[in-house]
Amino acid sequence: MADELLRREYHIQGRDFERAGESSTLIKEILKGVGIDPTLIRRAVVIVFEAEMNVVMYAEGGTVTLVLTEEEIRIEVADRGPGIPDIEQAMQEGYSTAADDMREMGFGFGMGLPNIRRNSDLFTISSDVGRGTTVQSSIRLDGHG
Amino acid sequence: MAEYTHGFRIETESCNGCLACMRACPTHALRIRNGVVKLLPELCIDCGSCLRVCPTGGIVPLTRSLAEFSGFKFRVAVVSPVLYGQFPVGVSPAHIVAGLKALGLDAVWDYAVEIEVVRRAIAEQVQKWEGRYLMVSVSCPVIVRLIQVAYPRMVDCLIGIQPPREVAGRALKRRYSRELGIREDEIAAIYITSCQAKTISILQPAEGGRSHLDGALGVSDIYNGTLAAAREWELTGREPAAEDLVRNASMLRWSTPDGPGGTFPGRRHLYVTGITNVIRVFDDIEKGKLRNLEFLECYACWGGCIGGNLAVDNYYVTRNKMQHLMNGLPELDPVTQAEADRRYREEDLTLEGPVLPRVIEPSGRDLRERVRVMTMAEQIRARLPGLDCGLCGAPSCTTLAGDVAAGEAAQTDCVFLGKERLGDLRELYLGNRS
Repeated sequence: MADELLRREYHIQGRDFERAGESSTLIKEILKGVGIDPTLIRRAVVIVFEAEMNVVMYAEGGTVTLVLTEEEIRIEVADRGPGIPDIEQAMQEGYSTAADDMREMGFGFGMGLPNIRRNSDLFTISSDVGRGTTVQSSIRLDGHG
Repeated sequence: MAEYTHGFRIETESCNGCLACMRACPTHALRIRNGVVKLLPELCIDCGSCLRVCPTGGIVPLTRSLAEFSGFKFRVAVVSPVLYGQFPVGVSPAHIVAGLKALGLDAVWDYAVEIEVVRRAIAEQVQKWEGRYLMVSVSCPVIVRLIQVAYPRMVDCLIGIQPPREVAGRALKRRYSRELGIREDEIAAIYITSCQAKTISILQPAEGGRSHLDGALGVSDIYNGTLAAAREWELTGREPAAEDLVRNASMLRWSTPDGPGGTFPGRRHLYVTGITNVIRVFDDIEKGKLRNLEFLECYACWGGCIGGNLAVDNYYVTRNKMQHLMNGLPELDPVTQAEADRRYREEDLTLEGPVLPRVIEPSGRDLRERVRVMTMAEQIRARLPGLDCGLCGAPSCTTLAGDVAAGEAAQTDCVFLGKERLGDLRELYLGNRS
């Protein structure tokens, strides 16, 4: 594996809708600052934002980790939360356990995880019911997923 | 790197190094070096924020004077609808048109038709949308440039239809060339504008190619002369026999917060004005927070074109006057409708080329080197006080740190870190007063 050029970690607070999306903005600035292709930045930003929203909606809190190597952008989002009992079901578009108030805010339409997978070249998700969920995404810098 | 032209000129000899422009610039394109402003042209999006705040008038819009068009055989004004809301109550649109002609313009163009034609073209594109992607109006040249510089992925969202002023420039040259038997390049198409940014879209269109307009005159450039001539008409108590160019409310609404998106019923439309507000909305769009939007109209000036930096009357009064004018008019008049029907069928309104992102190369030849420069900038930033006082000549501590890491500035430019810095500034700004 190529060595890490850069690593950043951000904390996300559960239920903090006001600040939700801050780490995706910071990550966008970093990737822009080092001249990553805008199309790849866009994909990374969507991944981080969706994962961040999942943490804000369902979990107590979590962390976003950005790792940049010469080959890829790696994003890991790990939360302390209820976990997902049936991952296969959760990965289906439109499947959501969000409460009505979330939907009224424009979230929880069951597009988050599928959206993350769609924008990733590599995607893994693991969950421990009662403890939390970890999503790992990778975007290849050469654009050949 | 490509050369960038801008819609203003900095007269460094009148710059007093006061920091106002640097602090106002939303893209951090200005620095103060040795008490004089310096522009980083690739970052400038021509928003004109600096012009508004410069106390010495040292940043001059490149709008022109009418005399500069004297080389043309025939001079035609295309008038931003904002102009009709700029004059005192009692000065009618017909008086204003007569006033413009008295200044020496040979004709004032019937702009209502282009506005209607372009409104239809945009409406048709938005109707065809079917939920695939967001569409953003290209009316404001600053927004187009903001997207090129800071939101390069969004260039695909820009609606590929020429703004009405360009369609008008093309049409008026064709018509007068035919009617007067002179060449198109002997006819000047002059846009009367409420902001300096229209100048840049004439000098260097974002989509490449050439503008159909020959230059712009600011509302403030022609105001006094037009008012004096219009007043003479007003005193006669008669209406001049000029063509009736303000016939419908739709044209006037184009420049207000209600149009043109407001006329597309049932569409998810957002009207955003003020560059910092636009930046917030674009950020939300980029991260996917704002979805299902269909049509976005954004203007760099707060309040839209009515709030342009070359407008004379204040925003609220102008809006009120334009509303009064609209109240007495039909939404669309039969003359405009018939002419727009014909031209909509006949004319190609597509933008003459795609708008491409403006590539700004970060310092460092490869990714490893660029990460090193950025990490260094972060370390330098951590040593700075975070006051964003601007005395170093950069708008914020973060910008200074970036400049230092890129080798464009010295850490000792900060008054807290450079022992000599305050003394040098005292010398520079107070001179023999100290």
